[in-house]
Amino acid sequence: MRARDNPFASNLISRLRCHFPPSHSWDSLLLRLQRLEYRGAITGPMGSGKTTILEELAVRLEKQGRQTRLAGLTIQHRQIPDPGHFFANLESTILILDGAEQLNWLSWQRFLRQSRHAAGLIITTHQPGRLPTLFTCATTPALLDNLLTQLHIPPGSPLRLQARRLFDLHCGNLREVLRSLYDSCSTLPHPL
Amino acid sequence: MIHLDIQNQKTSFSPGETIAAKITWQLEKSVNAIELRLFWHTNGKGTQDINIVNTLRFTQPPQRDTRPFQFQLPSSPYSFSGKLISLIWAIEAVTDPLDEAGRQEFILSPTGREILLCDTFPANPVNG
Repeated sequence: MRARDNPFASNLISRLRCHFPPSHSWDSLLLRLQRLEYRGAITGPMGSGKTTILEELAVRLEKQGRQTRLAGLTIQHRQIPDPGHFFANLESTILILDGAEQLNWLSWQRFLRQSRHAAGLIITTHQPGRLPTLFTCATTPALLDNLLTQLHIPPGSPLRLQARRLFDLHCGNLREVLRSLYDSCSTLPHPL
Repeated sequence: MIHLDIQNQKTSFSPGETIAAKITWQLEKSVNAIELRLFWHTNGKGTQDINIVNTLRFTQPPQRDTRPFQFQLPSSPYSFSGKLISLIWAIEAVTDPLDEAGRQEFILSPTGREILLCDTFPANPVNG
């Protein structure tokens, strides 16, 4: 299958929308964030959708008229790119840090000091504890099913069965599941 | 509604050729401008690349109109597909502020067909 026909291509994955459990919604998340004075953490294991929620949250805050500034850390890049810009003129800016677990204790303390004048601070991290928990991401087979539906994988498709097996194999890491499904589809001769 | 029509419903162009088309729009509210973009982007497993090659801007457009336009295509990159990445050419029109958009893909290739990087793909139609 050509990359352009692959239903798990990254441009389609990046369009997937958050799917909250029934007890949560964007309204409840934004209300909790307000109660936490815009300081909170989205927690959860790798591939559980933290970044997806964070990016959509940033868009929703911008739509509310709030300024946001986003930085992302990875295991390869553990420092804030261009910190002079990131920490400048913070009074009306909500800082958003994806991958806060990449900062060790000392770096995290330094980050907190540098961001203390910000209008808010929202992070993603694997473990709770660095900031009050805003939302805990967890993956379930039902969430995976929802993503497959968003990607137009028909009910009953062998890909759904394979996805369920991959979900167990990757211990619920949805990012790895979707990457594996891309690879499976790339070996097919025809589009789905 | 924004609709792009490439002249003669042509779907494949040679490098350096001129693409002639017309844009028709019918908007529910007035906008500052409508921008036409000639661009290519990649789809596939990795990070998506995008490159806007040329733009045309209609400022303070009426809410409904049809206008012809043309872009001269560059000599490369060619449209291609492999298992990991595809390069796709398109023209698109977007309103400012962004409210509506239209898009039309085409092939840029000296052979008239998308270059296939894998011989296990079936022969594909010209329009991809």
